[in-house]
Amino acid sequence: MDVLLAFTRPALDWHALAPELTLLAFGTLITVVDIIWDDRSKQAMPTLAGMGLLATLVPILTLAVDGTERSMFAGAYVVDDFSLVLKALFLISGYIVILMSVDYIREGDYYENEYYTLMLTSLLGMVMISSSRDLVSVFVALELLSIPAYMLAAWRKGGPRSNEAGLKYYLMGVFASAVMLYGMSLVYGLAGSTTFNAIAQSMATDTTNPIAILGILFILIGFAFKVSAVPFHTWAPDTYEGAPTPVTAFLAVASKAAGMVALIQLVFVAFPGRDDVVQPFFWVISALTMTIGNLIALRQNNIVRLLAYSGVAQGGFMLVPFAVAAEAPARAFEAVVIYLAIYAFMNLGAFAVVLAVARKTRSGEIDSYGGLFQYAPGLAVAMTIFLAALAGIPPAGGWFAKFGLFRALLDAGGSWAAALGVVVAVNTVIAFAYYARILVQMWFQPIPDGDDRPIAVTGSLGAALTVTIAATMAFGVLPGLVGHFGEVSVLSALGG
Amino acid sequence: MWMLENAFIIPLIPALSFVVILFLGKRYIGADRVHVIGIGALALVWLLSAIAAFQWTQRVEDPPPDAIVHIEHHGDSHDDGHGDGHDDGHGDGHDDGHGDGHDDGHGDEHAASGGHGDDGHGGGHSSPLIRPVISTFSQWWSNSGVDFAVGTLVDGQTVLLLMVVATISLLVHIYSTEYVKGDRRYVHYYAFLSLFTAAMLFFVMAQNIIQLIVGWELVGVCSFALIGHWWEEKPNTDAALKAFLTNRVGDVGLLVGMIVLWGTFKTFDIDAINTLISADPGAHHFALLIAACCLMAAVASKSGQFPLHTWLPDAMAGPTPVSALIHAATMVVAGVYMIARLYPVFYEGFSIGTSSINLMAFIGGFTALIGAGLAFAQWDIKKVLAYSTVSQLGYMVMALGVGAWTAAIFHLFTHAFFKACLFLGAGSVSHAAHHTFDMRKMGGLKKEMPHTYKTFVISSLALAGVFPFAGFWSKDEILLGSLVGQENGYPLMLIFGCAVALMTAAYMTRVIWYTFHGEFRGHGHPHESPKVMTVPLWILAGMAVLAGAFNLPGPVLEPIGLEGLAHRIQTYAEPSVYLSGLGLSHPDPSLNMALVGLALAITGILVTYLYYWKRIGLHGLTERNRYARNGYTFLENKYYLDHLYNDIVVETVKRPIAKWANNFNQNVLDRAVNTAGETARDTGRWVYKWIDQGAIDGSVNAAARGADSSGESLRAIQSGKVQNYGQLLFGAAAVLAIVFVIVV
Amino acid sequence: MEVTGFDTWVLSLAVFLPLVGALVIMLIPKAYESELKLVALGSSLLALVVGAYIAIQFDYGAAGDLQFVVDKGWIDVINSRYIVGLDGLSLPLLLLSLVVVPLCLIYSWNHIPEPGNPKAFFVLILILSTGMNGSFVAQDMILFFVFFEVVLLPMYFLIGVWGGEDRRYASLKFFLYTLFGSALMIISFLALFFLSKDASGELLNTFDMRILTDAAGVGIIKSTQVWIFAGLFMGFGIKVPMFPFHTWLPDAHTQAPTVGSVILAAVLLKLGTYGFVRIAIPFLPEGAIAWAPWIGLLAVIGIIYGALGCLAQKDMKRLIAFSSVAHMGFVMLGIATLTDFGINAAIFGMIAHGLITGMLFFVAGSVKERYHTLEISRLGGLLKSAPRMGWILGFASMASLGLPGLAGFWGEFPAILSAYNPGAGMPEETFRTYMVIAAIGTVLAAGYLLWLYQRTAFGEPPEEFAGHSIADVNRDEWIAWMPFLVGIVLFGIWPNLIFNVTDDVVSGITASVEAIAAGN
Repeated sequence: MDVLLAFTRPALDWHALAPELTLLAFGTLITVVDIIWDDRSKQAMPTLAGMGLLATLVPILTLAVDGTERSMFAGAYVVDDFSLVLKALFLISGYIVILMSVDYIREGDYYENEYYTLMLTSLLGMVMISSSRDLVSVFVALELLSIPAYMLAAWRKGGPRSNEAGLKYYLMGVFASAVMLYGMSLVYGLAGSTTFNAIAQSMATDTTNPIAILGILFILIGFAFKVSAVPFHTWAPDTYEGAPTPVTAFLAVASKAAGMVALIQLVFVAFPGRDDVVQPFFWVISALTMTIGNLIALRQNNIVRLLAYSGVAQGGFMLVPFAVAAEAPARAFEAVVIYLAIYAFMNLGAFAVVLAVARKTRSGEIDSYGGLFQYAPGLAVAMTIFLAALAGIPPAGGWFAKFGLFRALLDAGGSWAAALGVVVAVNTVIAFAYYARILVQMWFQPIPDGDDRPIAVTGSLGAALTVTIAATMAFGVLPGLVGHFGEVSVLSALGG
Repeated sequence: MWMLENAFIIPLIPALSFVVILFLGKRYIGADRVHVIGIGALALVWLLSAIAAFQWTQRVEDPPPDAIVHIEHHGDSHDDGHGDGHDDGHGDGHDDGHGDGHDDGHGDEHAASGGHGDDGHGGGHSSPLIRPVISTFSQWWSNSGVDFAVGTLVDGQTVLLLMVVATISLLVHIYSTEYVKGDRRYVHYYAFLSLFTAAMLFFVMAQNIIQLIVGWELVGVCSFALIGHWWEEKPNTDAALKAFLTNRVGDVGLLVGMIVLWGTFKTFDIDAINTLISADPGAHHFALLIAACCLMAAVASKSGQFPLHTWLPDAMAGPTPVSALIHAATMVVAGVYMIARLYPVFYEGFSIGTSSINLMAFIGGFTALIGAGLAFAQWDIKKVLAYSTVSQLGYMVMALGVGAWTAAIFHLFTHAFFKACLFLGAGSVSHAAHHTFDMRKMGGLKKEMPHTYKTFVISSLALAGVFPFAGFWSKDEILLGSLVGQENGYPLMLIFGCAVALMTAAYMTRVIWYTFHGEFRGHGHPHESPKVMTVPLWILAGMAVLAGAFNLPGPVLEPIGLEGLAHRIQTYAEPSVYLSGLGLSHPDPSLNMALVGLALAITGILVTYLYYWKRIGLHGLTERNRYARNGYTFLENKYYLDHLYNDIVVETVKRPIAKWANNFNQNVLDRAVNTAGETARDTGRWVYKWIDQGAIDGSVNAAARGADSSGESLRAIQSGKVQNYGQLLFGAAAVLAIVFVIVV
Repeated sequence: MEVTGFDTWVLSLAVFLPLVGALVIMLIPKAYESELKLVALGSSLLALVVGAYIAIQFDYGAAGDLQFVVDKGWIDVINSRYIVGLDGLSLPLLLLSLVVVPLCLIYSWNHIPEPGNPKAFFVLILILSTGMNGSFVAQDMILFFVFFEVVLLPMYFLIGVWGGEDRRYASLKFFLYTLFGSALMIISFLALFFLSKDASGELLNTFDMRILTDAAGVGIIKSTQVWIFAGLFMGFGIKVPMFPFHTWLPDAHTQAPTVGSVILAAVLLKLGTYGFVRIAIPFLPEGAIAWAPWIGLLAVIGIIYGALGCLAQKDMKRLIAFSSVAHMGFVMLGIATLTDFGINAAIFGMIAHGLITGMLFFVAGSVKERYHTLEISRLGGLLKSAPRMGWILGFASMASLGLPGLAGFWGEFPAILSAYNPGAGMPEETFRTYMVIAAIGTVLAAGYLLWLYQRTAFGEPPEEFAGHSIADVNRDEWIAWMPFLVGIVLFGIWPNLIFNVTDDVVSGITASVEAIAAGN
């Protein structure tokens, strides 16, 4: 009994947990509403979900204003600027995804209410992962964001491709989790603790132990799967193509971002002393991911698939800074966060355009974009902006993200960094080659079916486009905006 | 001296008339009356040039103090200039000849024109040297902190050329009113005549070598435009292109040579360059040699010297008055003028003072020879005259090459008049004989066109160098110059010179025979040209008689007590302020030389006369004798130089080489880039097919098979893909694990 | 110079007015075509007026210093700032670009190339103009980079949408080449950012060009400088374009619509050479000295090679395009000498080439419009069918082959001349050889240009076109061309108009090089 009595409830900082709780509350609310009113509540659902996300932003703001760093559960759960910035990013991209989803889900034959519930749940997982500084909480958060995603991927119940997508995603996810768990257990076995700080100390002490290397490696591989890094990316194209497009956008942006966030914390907090493992690993992985992703993207004819592979390649770009995490920690850190933020908007924007065009052409083939500029100049220009951003051409936002990479690499210096820099440069060019294929279709080619009726863009989709365009251009012309967040988010541990 | 300081006005006038004619002519004056402007402008130019010339003579006669330079280094300059071997080199003939030349020259001059007489005359330059009038105007361009001015340099040599250009250009303007009457591009014709005159005047008064280059190129363009005046016919445009491109080749030499001068003396200023060299002739010999050789190439192209002379005969495709003005009297002497202008450069570069043969002298002499030779093989009267021009230009260059500065300029002066007269005469003939220049379609025109005939004969005699016509005196000086040379004579040049004298007389007689004597072989009724054409002819013919008087040697004038008028050109035109430092000396007149020259001319005429008029001599030699025939074909084909240039040089550059370059561009450089791109794409396909999608068709088929039912689609999952993926995932993990554990 | 009041705005105005115009046009519906055009022309003319004001206010006594400087915060994170300012080097180029754009708009006023859509066409040109103007006044490397890149997409679309048969290939090639160059360029910029030290050995960590010019590469060891310079060399050399990176140019020019070619030739190519003079050489003197002989070599190869390429062309426009390679070769030769003389000549060459080749492309465009072909063998007798145009073509050709008295000469001759005495520390013999080769290049230039002229303008018109009447130069064309023609003559007769402005700046640029050379 004493033992039980001895248990004292850890102090809970309700303010710190407010975002998660709000999100949880709205998730439950939606479910309850659904149970009570069922179909009659259809209309309300997206609104509710959207409100939920916006509401969640409020406590995040208050926390940001308050500014003190809060740590709970013996450092297993931390709320600092970094986590706040990322939480906000997740929520906003989630919100945009919902804007994109509204009509798509309503018009297709889908379960609507559950869709939003799952969406919120997955987002909850993301919001949590950015605060987790402990193997267990990371894992829990990861599964919490993944499992709803598996279901969402298969949401188009009728479509075999969708089911196939969901199932593949699920299976591969399980494999990856298995590997990751194995790594975690090894690491725990060595460190005797699951908190990152403790792990960091023990890992740094003996750098020779092969077990430690294996552990670190397997954990990283697990997340490499999440961010669809080559050679762990194979699920991505099939899943992206099969899943409902808004979900694809969600996976390509939000869940990839989550993976990155986890990696950031692992690399910079858990294994800071182990650049002997981390840096070569990421050098190889990022180089592979960029190159293979781009090369394969060159061959795609389906736009979603193309964006999928471009997403893989973009992931490779984001992994680049990890390869110099030790030489230039602060810069590398900034680079990843900045890249994440910009990537979220430009990629979501691209998907939004795809959605809008698909409403008319009902096709994902690149050829179906022929002459888009003639009958939908607005969308064509928007797409041009997003592609330019993805290719990293000023004044569209992407250039600053790429710039961040180069900056980190050159700050680190050394021939390896320089070599990677050249790889990035070359890949930038290759990447444009396939983005150009879409541009060529939209601008230079005639309309395939000669049908030049303009495209009606629904309100919510229009809103999504407006937000993404505004953000992309703003980041391009005044990179200070996003750069600022990148700066503040640098973990105090790194003296950022 | 106002005119000398503001000489820039002179080229300005025709420049303005160019603008007016070209842009206002048609609309406001009337296409057929634009010549009024041109002639007016030229009359004004002539007047001003005359004033300038007069003022220059004044300046020489009683120089204002600021115009006098005292360089008392006759002696030492001799040493610098001629280095060792000076004493032995001086030897007999030269030194004493030099001596007495000096003495009587002196005596007479003193008697005549109190003391200043021997400026630039005689070997001794101990007396005042006249500085040219140099006026620079505001900054033209600046670079690396240095400002380069534009300005004018006027001295005797300049005003001489001013007079020549102004006179001939004026006469040609008048003559043309009839000759090109009713031409399709009357306006352009006169516009370009004016522009050319402006450019030429600008060129002769250039103050720095950049201006020299500018003027040089501008006259070239005008020549291009006027040769191609009738550009509808391809031959004309070909000729125009040939002229321009050949000159361009020479211009490489011009640019490089001028750059070398700039690099050596760090100035573009002609006066400065000349002064620097003459102050210290020994220095920079090598640089000057390079510069001189490069500039020689430019001279060869512009003044039709071997081997770049081939464009000049083709240039006859232009209207005849143009040939007279540009391709006989003025533009083609630009090269000669440039040598004379920068004489110290060449004098030191080719060490004319000490050698007895040098590049310039040889090229000149050789050109004179081959030009004369070609003149025999031509049936086109203008071509004959063209080759004669080539040969005469060679004469001048040779004269400069042997150090006979004055002789060269003197010949330039006389030649301008009689050659212009001959061309205009030829023009008048073709004007009468239905615009043909083929002498085989002429003959017997003596009766129909007396004026043309008389003037033509007079100028021919002048050209042939018959006493007392102008050509006789100038040619005599050149021969004398090559006989005496500076330290050593130039024997080879003398031989060339004599041969050319003979041939010249001969081929001119041939021309006269075919054109004016015998029976008329053309059709229609030839008639004398109107006054507006014949009057200029007479004026020029008159000059062909009198021009010689400008530089008569002292001894000739003594008997009639006009010694004061001896060697006027030498006195006024020679820039002794530069040349004195080089220790340039002048041979004194020799009666024997004159007689030899005259004899040669007479012989030439006589032989030809007998050959044609009296049918004496080896007729039909070419039919009988193979060698003679070959020789003739060789001449007919102009030594095959054109074949060399057009068919070999140009064609190889234009066709194979350019083609090769283009293919290289398309197939190597471009291909490389494209290949890189394609490789990337193929790699992409390969990776995608074999590495990424273990069984891509599998997925497609699977999708196809599991078309609608979800149950079906389960099979798609068993299509082996997921296993592949799984294998890949775990496999990669394992590999990485092993690698890292071992390596790290 | 204390910048106050309106003067703090003028440069930004000159840069962004066209962009504002573009935004306004975007809001105007397609139907109001004439309004669209008026807005476009208006904004570009307004920018030109501002440019004129700048030219008047410019203190020519202090042409060596930056004027109208504005220094405001921009991207604090990477401490890159919004710094604009112009000196004697920027001024002529800025004016050139300000003049060319409205003229191009006027030219295309009544004939927008296929497939029409003036709205998009004009918007793109205006955006282009903002990019070009910005590049010439930016004094912060990142800002420069952004403007430098802004130019890309509009030109890509101009070529790709309104271009000829092979436009897709040409446009993509243009884009990839330049993109690759700029990727390496930005890397070099960052290297400069991290490595540059001031005299006292303190790391500067700045993108401010003014500071980096003063620093003059102090504290960056030679080998590093060579590498960084290599990066910049790729970035700028591709833009120039230098042999062997020129292959994008002929295709781009041949396929681009007329005004596209004109802008490309007149302004875009200058961005590369400008970059060399403004950034590469002053920031990395040692790298420059190490590279100069090779740049010179590539330059003269380009001169001869471009000329030979011209001789082989069957298409008039493609021939002119190749001639650009040759002419930019002269410019680069001047730069490679690292002497005031050469660089001044190079800057003059940029302006001259801009005017002359721009003019040639205009004529080519108008010929194409009338004959519907640019195949040289099919053309002929232009002087007869359209005399004025024939004359203009002849005039431009003469200017292009470097006829003294016209602008071309003053870029060409001093450049050749400068190679006789290359900057201190350069292999003299090598450069003198270059000099001779370059001089020979002028012969070839005359060759291909006159040959072109003979085949297109001289002779009788081919019977193929004997029937139709070929319209002579029309009003729009006169308006658009006159400034070019006037400029060619004016600068030819009075070169000091440009030399005088650039000279001070250049001596500042070469100072660093000379200092290094003196050090060795």
